[in-house]
Amino acid sequence: MTQIKSASSTRNRSVRVASQPFVYGAVTLLCVLAAWFLATDVLHLVGSSFLPSPVTVIATLFGLTVQPFAGATLMGHLGLSLARWALGVGAGILLGVLLGIVLAWLPPVRAAVTPIFEVLRYIPPFAWVPIAVLWLGASMSAQALVVFIAAFPPCVINTQLGVSTVDPILTNAARTLGAPPMTILRRVVVPVAAPSIFTGARIAVSNGWMALVGAELIVGKEGLGFLIAQGQFNGDVAMIFVGIIVIGIVGTLIDFLIARAEVWTLPWKTDSK
Amino acid sequence: MNTTVIKTGAPMREADMNDATPKMEIRGVSKTYTTRKSETYALETTDLSIGTGEFVTIVGPSGCGKSTLMMIAAGLEEPSTGEILVDGSPAGPAGPKRSVVFQRFALFPSETVAQNIGFGLSVAHVSKVERTERIKEQLTLMGLEQFRNSYPKELSGGMQQRVAIARALIVRPEILLMDEPFAALDAQTRTVMQEEVSRLHRRMQSTVFFITHSVEEAVYLADRVVVMSKRPGRIKKEISIPHDAPWRTGDIEDAMTYGDFNELRKEIWDLVREEITTH
Amino acid sequence: MTVAVRSTRRAAPRKPSTQSMWRRELARGKSVLIGVIAAVVLVIIWYLLTLPGGLIQPLFLPPPQGVATQFITMLSEPYLGSTLWGHAIASLGVVLEAWALGGIIGIPLGIAVAWWKRARWIVWPLFQLIRPVPPLAWIPLAIVWLGIGDVARVAVVFVAALVPWVMNSIEAVRSIDPLLVSAARTLGASEPQILMRVVVRTGLPTILAGARIALGNAWTTLVAAEMLAATAGLGFVALNASRVLDLDTLLVAMGTIGILGAALSILISSAAQWIAPWAED
Repeated sequence: MTQIKSASSTRNRSVRVASQPFVYGAVTLLCVLAAWFLATDVLHLVGSSFLPSPVTVIATLFGLTVQPFAGATLMGHLGLSLARWALGVGAGILLGVLLGIVLAWLPPVRAAVTPIFEVLRYIPPFAWVPIAVLWLGASMSAQALVVFIAAFPPCVINTQLGVSTVDPILTNAARTLGAPPMTILRRVVVPVAAPSIFTGARIAVSNGWMALVGAELIVGKEGLGFLIAQGQFNGDVAMIFVGIIVIGIVGTLIDFLIARAEVWTLPWKTDSK
Repeated sequence: MNTTVIKTGAPMREADMNDATPKMEIRGVSKTYTTRKSETYALETTDLSIGTGEFVTIVGPSGCGKSTLMMIAAGLEEPSTGEILVDGSPAGPAGPKRSVVFQRFALFPSETVAQNIGFGLSVAHVSKVERTERIKEQLTLMGLEQFRNSYPKELSGGMQQRVAIARALIVRPEILLMDEPFAALDAQTRTVMQEEVSRLHRRMQSTVFFITHSVEEAVYLADRVVVMSKRPGRIKKEISIPHDAPWRTGDIEDAMTYGDFNELRKEIWDLVREEITTH
Repeated sequence: MTVAVRSTRRAAPRKPSTQSMWRRELARGKSVLIGVIAAVVLVIIWYLLTLPGGLIQPLFLPPPQGVATQFITMLSEPYLGSTLWGHAIASLGVVLEAWALGGIIGIPLGIAVAWWKRARWIVWPLFQLIRPVPPLAWIPLAIVWLGIGDVARVAVVFVAALVPWVMNSIEAVRSIDPLLVSAARTLGASEPQILMRVVVRTGLPTILAGARIALGNAWTTLVAAEMLAATAGLGFVALNASRVLDLDTLLVAMGTIGILGAALSILISSAAQWIAPWAED
């Protein structure tokens, strides 16, 4: 009997993976937190230089919000990271979408650019860190350049994909109605390509965040990545944890916000997830 | 060809037709879907018997619960009340006694035609020698020899449905359940497939329970047509088709030239139309 | 990172678009020719700009012939302990180890999470906790806990590879047509048979797509990990070369990283084609 039940509910149970009961998740997380607390503060199973207690981590977190570390408070480091990230991702999306449209619409340009783009695309963003620093110094713009390199390709690829799936019947229809090229681009092509462009932007946003953390880890004097690098350097594991937690939360928020933005701007696209 | 090997279920004899125990019995089956907010009656209490070797078709407006009835008959869904009997005893969970041909083919995309057809045998650990032999018979029967190593995506809709039918027949089911098997096919392919199924049934005397929304198809194929009402579904009328109806040997296009066929079709269509137009 | 599953969609090949006056497709030969010419022109511009007394100082961008010479030299002469081959093998070893480990753990984990409720309650919240953190952010922790040896790098790269392995395995199970499960059941398949023969086999293309993303992520992460904690490997070479302003070596390292990344991607795509020839394309 249970066998039969499971047959008809196969679909349901798998769909629920994403939005599964909140309660169970909370319980599991509380268990982890409790185990962590037990292992450190109560039973002293591990040394604090190896795994600090949750209390220490929270104390460090609050300490960092008021006490500047390496010239900035936690908020200061966060702000700097976000600024670099926004600069790189913004430029990546803007130029990526433009190039994507050009590549989709102008085959000669596509033929010229695609091979070079494909070769460069396989060099990971972090491999650009040393040369970015040599070119621009260990500055805001070097970090932003690495973020840009991470954010740019997904925008180009997805925009090109979106634009090239526009049904020629639509553009032809618009043309027979006398629409000039820019109008066709704005009213016919962009709406159809928008979901794909958004997919590219979403990947760009999270790739960019990942690249930023890496870049700040490798070089730099401020930012969240720098914070955890310093934690490692000073043997301050609590600070590493604080950095990881903030990076994780901000990353989740960023992803959530762009998903909301997609729903606002493209309300007709129902499968926004 | 040796038809005794490939026939489904027991051979039909005159005695079986008069036998008191039907091949499949749907007894007091109903279905209610309960959600937190509401209850939906999908199927009212239904009784239906299908004799050995009989071809029973069900027609009804879309959403009338005929697919629900099929899922319950196959053992893929639980009835809210009632039970399904095969040869007089409870049928239990889904299994090869009642194999199903689905509207959307449901072929395993990762397996070749031969592997798809042999699926039921290999999960039952039938020996490789016997398996190869029986797969070969089905391939021949369905005219699929040249596609034996093709993947489903390489086949046309009609060919895919042939594979699905072969896959359902190879396990020698007591009863073959077909859930609108031709609804996804184009008109010409459908006509050919209808004729083939009719021929197959006459040759093998298999017991078939067949759901369709096409009145012509129902009359053309059936020994008995069951008309269902709109949701919540219930059996509205059962109409027997003469065993020696003259259209059985031709295709459905020929059948339309018979006056009797068209009368039956009209009678059943009127019954179905009432369900669509009344409120 | 939502990248994992979404990127499979990105990887879907383009539908051939019907001809339109707006964007007429070029003949294949012509477009290859344009591509080659563009690449050659780029190298010539690079060469002219970096000529002695040219617009760009070699400290900013070295001339192409310098990079080429350094590349050939590094193939035979050790740099920081080993030849370019040695560094490449060191990098590839870590990546493949971590990637395979990710698959061995990630596939069963993903399938379990999608198939059994209990597994989901335990694993999914933990996974969601780890997922939004960029794998790189674990590097300092890995160094503190595991030192700067291979283990730390494998651990970090493993985390990077694990996410797509798991996400795509979940997606593989989720995207199974329930009708196929029903069909298998009416043909007499047992639960384990359905799982292995229908669910896993049908979902294989999705899992393989995950394998490709996992390998790409692993390679990306390894490069960063090698810049932070390594004594060999291409990322290590790149960072050290930049510290002594040796741009020839830096560009050789970057180029090698890119070429190997592309080679891994092509290899796994053809492997996927070979393993699952039935996959929808």
